[in-house]
Amino acid sequence: MFENEHDFRKLMDGLKLDDQPNPTHRERLRGQMLQAFEQAGRQRPDDRGQTTEGRRKPARPIRPPFSVFRLRASWLAVAAVVLIAAGIGIWGLVGRGPVTLHQVRLATQKAPWLYAVIKRYQGGEVRTERHWYDFAAQKAYAVLDDDAVVGWDYGADSKKLLYNPRVKALLISDLSVAGAGDSTENLLSVFAVFAAQDDVRGLTSQYDGKTVRSFEIEKAESGLSIDGKAVNRLRATVMADPRTRRIVAVGIEYQGSDGSVLVREGWAMSYPPSGPASVYDLGVPAAAARIDGRRQRIGTPSDEPTPIPTPAPAGGFRLAPVEIRLPKPMFAGTPQDARMPNLERPRGGPRPPFLAPVGTTNVALGKPVSSSDPEPVIGSLEAITDGDKEAAEGSFVELSPGPQFVTIDLQERCEIDAVVVWHYHRWPRAYVDVVVQVSDDPAFKTAVKTIFNNDTDSSLGLGAGRDLSYVETYEGKLMEGKGAQGRYIRLFSNGNTRDDLNHYIEVEVYGRPLRLIQDN
Amino acid sequence: MAYGDPDPSREASRLGAHDDLVVLAKTQAGALGQLYELYYDRIFRFCIHRLFNRTTAEDVTSSVFLTVARTMRDFKGRTEQDFRSWIYTIAANQANAHIRKTVRRKRLMNNVQGRRWAGEEDFDSATGSAAAQWSRLDWPTLYAAIQELKPEHQTILTLRFFENMDYDEIGRVVDARPATVRVTLHRTLRRLQEVLQGDLGGEA
Repeated sequence: MFENEHDFRKLMDGLKLDDQPNPTHRERLRGQMLQAFEQAGRQRPDDRGQTTEGRRKPARPIRPPFSVFRLRASWLAVAAVVLIAAGIGIWGLVGRGPVTLHQVRLATQKAPWLYAVIKRYQGGEVRTERHWYDFAAQKAYAVLDDDAVVGWDYGADSKKLLYNPRVKALLISDLSVAGAGDSTENLLSVFAVFAAQDDVRGLTSQYDGKTVRSFEIEKAESGLSIDGKAVNRLRATVMADPRTRRIVAVGIEYQGSDGSVLVREGWAMSYPPSGPASVYDLGVPAAAARIDGRRQRIGTPSDEPTPIPTPAPAGGFRLAPVEIRLPKPMFAGTPQDARMPNLERPRGGPRPPFLAPVGTTNVALGKPVSSSDPEPVIGSLEAITDGDKEAAEGSFVELSPGPQFVTIDLQERCEIDAVVVWHYHRWPRAYVDVVVQVSDDPAFKTAVKTIFNNDTDSSLGLGAGRDLSYVETYEGKLMEGKGAQGRYIRLFSNGNTRDDLNHYIEVEVYGRPLRLIQDN
Repeated sequence: MAYGDPDPSREASRLGAHDDLVVLAKTQAGALGQLYELYYDRIFRFCIHRLFNRTTAEDVTSSVFLTVARTMRDFKGRTEQDFRSWIYTIAANQANAHIRKTVRRKRLMNNVQGRRWAGEEDFDSATGSAAAQWSRLDWPTLYAAIQELKPEHQTILTLRFFENMDYDEIGRVVDARPATVRVTLHRTLRRLQEVLQGDLGGEA
């Protein structure tokens, strides 16, 4: 039929299609276009921040102007609220006194479960771990970055269980010989450090937009080494909610002998009602081989530890790998220059499966999306949640230059386990000032939880973040939900390493509606 | 030069003639109006070749020029070449976004199928020669076959054969290297031939 372009052209020349434009449409559109151009010019700020209509442009275009102060009555109402709040605050300080570290420890340990998402920054890489703590039972569990699962039993059994997914075996060892690193890395041990430093005075500071009580503690460390370098000192900043007195975040630095920071960790805490009953609830297959290292110990027969049975599946809490369908990779080999500070080193392999409670799905699929740029340059906003992750034309949305955001309405309150974002993975570029927040407030003014923030200089005005920038790939960027709950997800960006534009191909939000969790 | 290929040097000099207009159009409505006159026909033609429906093509053309009007002041390019690549990128993406909407796509495809089936009654089904197949090929059939291709391949095909763009310029529009465009186009034509073989029957 046709062998080459030449043949195909000849073939097409024989076909007729009425492609003559309609003069009426042309004229009408011309008028509309010029009107739109003039309108855009009027709304545009000049160099002094004034629009041509004389209005002051908001300092940051992504934030709507706060108009409540325009009304005198509103001023009075706000002043009254401030006075009442101040009165409550003074009463709190006088009547209850400032929160002490001791109180924080007690309140935190009283929680049925503590869930912590830990980001570990080391040598340009970031690793994420998820920990669950059951203080009453003296047990802790962790899912590591490579999907290894760890269980610590600090009770009578005093054992550690480590499941290696590559060899599909569960190694059981005595906690006392498990190594110093283990005990330093878990929160129970850090609490022991707190207990010895109860005289530390707390300071009022801000975390995630909220006022918290912050405690700086230090501990000389010995016996621990990281990558062959001895850890000399451990510094931790513990932030607690003054109302619940529970820890909300911890920042830990492991310092070497020369004072350099070998590893930095950021812990974000939440307090779920339930947690895993055993390592088998965290994705360890029941058929996994069990190697009991404790049997190698020398001791009397009475010291022989009892075998660990495989427990029956727990009813309430169980993690399973979430199936995240990936689009076709669009590039391979050495990435192009996407130079920017604070850039995460490429993983160098596929992302390990993400474990989440059974029943977790993409709750954002098909949900409505709004944006600071309601009329995108290219594409339409619904493409962001349409399930199409390919980096092809027509699959992405291009928003105007500069800081912009999109907001996904999940249409009901959900517990968020992870947000996966594909900005644009056709070329290896990194997007600037990526911030992801969860809230029940569609205006994101109250009860906002930030789950990712790599805006290191707070250029968006949302607070400085410590997350690393990353190069876009077909895998998308998985951001841990940190136990956040809310109805709305807002994602910010501020251009990319190639141009000032903002793009989204797809955003997936993995979680469960709270009504389903509560029903269970 | 191959049949129908644009002359790159002539195209480049012609494009360069309106560079000033592009710069002025960022601030002056009159200049933007002139650019509109230069590009309306091309963008409409591109849209109708992608969407095969006059009303839809007019909708998408409107959307493209309104987007240009809103964002022209932020446009970073300074030459007509830059503007041309930019406006075709917007048009390609808007057309693809349109066609990806399932309902619309189905309706388009049904229209095409309807026209194909209606037209088939006129065909001499007994003939199986290559010449007979050529004579059976009409625009609805070709359009339906093109719709079987991936959207980005459709764009490359349209830009190459309807807009007569060279590989460099297509590369700028679809954000790909010229060599990639060349290889993709070659594969696209092969795939299109397979689809048409299936539709029309017999050997190509």
